[in-house]
Amino acid sequence: MGILTRATRNITRRKTRALLVIVALSLALTMLISIPPSITANQEAAQKTIDSLTASAEYANSMVNRVATEIDCNLPLAFRTDAGPYHNESVLEQPLMNVTDYSNLTSIPDVASVIPILQQNQRDSEGKYLYDVIGIPLDASLLTNYPTILPANITAGRNLQAGDSGVVVLQERVANLFGVGVDGTVNILGQNFKVVGIQGQDAYNATAAYMSLDEAQIITNTTGQAMTFKVFATSIDNVGTVENDIKTAYPELSVITAKSLINQAHDMQQRSDEQIQRAQAGMNQIQSTATVEMGVVILADCVIVLFIMLYTVRERTKEIGTLKALGASNKTILGQFMLEGVLLSLIAGIVGLAIGTFAATTLANLLLPYPTDAGFGTVMSEGGILKASPIVVTITPQLILFGLGVAVLLGALGSLYPAWRAARIRPAEAMRYE
Amino acid sequence: MSELVLKIENLSKTYMLGKRDVRCLCDLNLEIKRGQFVAIMGPSGSGKTTLLNIIGCIDKPTKGKVLIDGVDIANLPESQLYKIRRDKIGFVFQSFNLLPYLNARENVELAMELTGKFKGQRKQRAKDLLATVGLLGREEHRPNRLSQGEQQRVAIARALANDPAIILADEPTGNLDTQNKHEIVKLLANLNSTQKTTTIMVTHDEQVAASAERILLINDGKIQDKQAQKETFFDNNQKQSSR
Repeated sequence: MGILTRATRNITRRKTRALLVIVALSLALTMLISIPPSITANQEAAQKTIDSLTASAEYANSMVNRVATEIDCNLPLAFRTDAGPYHNESVLEQPLMNVTDYSNLTSIPDVASVIPILQQNQRDSEGKYLYDVIGIPLDASLLTNYPTILPANITAGRNLQAGDSGVVVLQERVANLFGVGVDGTVNILGQNFKVVGIQGQDAYNATAAYMSLDEAQIITNTTGQAMTFKVFATSIDNVGTVENDIKTAYPELSVITAKSLINQAHDMQQRSDEQIQRAQAGMNQIQSTATVEMGVVILADCVIVLFIMLYTVRERTKEIGTLKALGASNKTILGQFMLEGVLLSLIAGIVGLAIGTFAATTLANLLLPYPTDAGFGTVMSEGGILKASPIVVTITPQLILFGLGVAVLLGALGSLYPAWRAARIRPAEAMRYE
Repeated sequence: MSELVLKIENLSKTYMLGKRDVRCLCDLNLEIKRGQFVAIMGPSGSGKTTLLNIIGCIDKPTKGKVLIDGVDIANLPESQLYKIRRDKIGFVFQSFNLLPYLNARENVELAMELTGKFKGQRKQRAKDLLATVGLLGREEHRPNRLSQGEQQRVAIARALANDPAIILADEPTGNLDTQNKHEIVKLLANLNSTQKTTTIMVTHDEQVAASAERILLINDGKIQDKQAQKETFFDNNQKQSSR
């Protein structure tokens, strides 16, 4: 029968009171253990969102960067005069360039790559426009670094790949014109090609048959020629310089840059930064809410222990007097009442953890709900759709230790003043107390 | 060891009642020899309990010296006083003051636990003491399952637990019926004669006081020795029984 037995018996002999206190404390402690995982889950969700936003922004930026660093070089449009049945006809056309004449384009500083593209329109016997044959160099490194040179929006089959030969991707209007689909064969300018993909309508509304540059040059009898040089600068910042250098070196060329795309890239970057800032601000708000909630719970816990122990001390003043008369020191009295407060809180902590096993996840989601604000508390799916990701609280050994540690600490803090008061009671006064 | 267990010199105690000083004890002098059984009597408010509380180190005098086994306790700090209470004093209260959540043995052990005695040693001594006060077989009973007389016996056993120099009994029979009163007084007297424990008992009851070898009267804060009555409590009791 020691101080621990006395403390335990004192708690158990007032069962209803102890039960009520334990219920109140345990609920508070359940809330308390629900908050840290909630913060962690929010942090993880926020980090995922930020990572996702950052990754998306980086990808979009790089895509825009690739297009925005693109400089199209052509010869100016010119009239071609064809002999007609009755008189000569003038046709506006895009003259072709000999690739070798422009081999020095690659030597211009800050030029990352020069890609020749052949585009030749095909007409029927009456001269009516049918479609374009577009030749793209199917080089592995070029396709990896500059995928924008390939046709976009493939709706069936596949796109062109590095090393492809004898294959073609048809824009759907061209496919309809030939009456073929994927895996069909089409004869273009006397040569058979296997259709590997169908292109839907793209941003340029092109009506084209895409194939390798070499094959396009062969079937159109334009070997060694290109209609456009797609010159890529090393970065957006260098586009202006490269543009000027090309104009200086080849004044006959018409040089077109994607200035609006550069602006778009900047806007996108800005929007992405704003979203990340909003996500971080949301996280800060969650953390401050959590801090306030934890503060309130801790305070409530301390106050519950404080009042119950003050009441206990008042109720047991005569017992304190008896203990002192028997020779108990102030330390013994202080220890006994603090131990009672700590035990009460510890029992509540264990009950709180038991409740927490079932209720912590629900409580965590209730206490720190996800903001509806897009971009935070949600994770970006691969399709770019924002999905809610609810907090799941797992009772880990660390959380158990945290819960019990907090319970002990709060019990000690809450019972410190009542225990001190008990220890300071003068025995003569305590013995007179009724 | 000195023959005097308690020596009080010029003891005064004044209480503040609002702005007024109320003198409770006034230049009181007293000497009690080791092994004496002393009864203190006096009207209500005469200062009997105050004197007992000062001797028991649970109240402090305003002036004077109180020497227990030669140690002046009047000016000792609380950090020393609790040791005197623990080692030198045994209290028996009118309302027993047993801890309701401990059984009889544990109540007796509690006094010993505060001195740091080992559990086995405590348990055996508590059993022996309970047997001495006639509670053999009742050791594991909680106070609410004991009669008032039995509860007071447990309180006496508790007071004896640490072999105190003085047992202070404040109206030990005040809450008891006649039968139990006689038994408790008899027990205190027997313990005093067999164990030579100095006992100072405050009582209103002259019959109870008659069992003491020395009776002190307190009136208006001053003390006077009253010659022990020739007919002891036990003689009276015998006469009453034979009628």
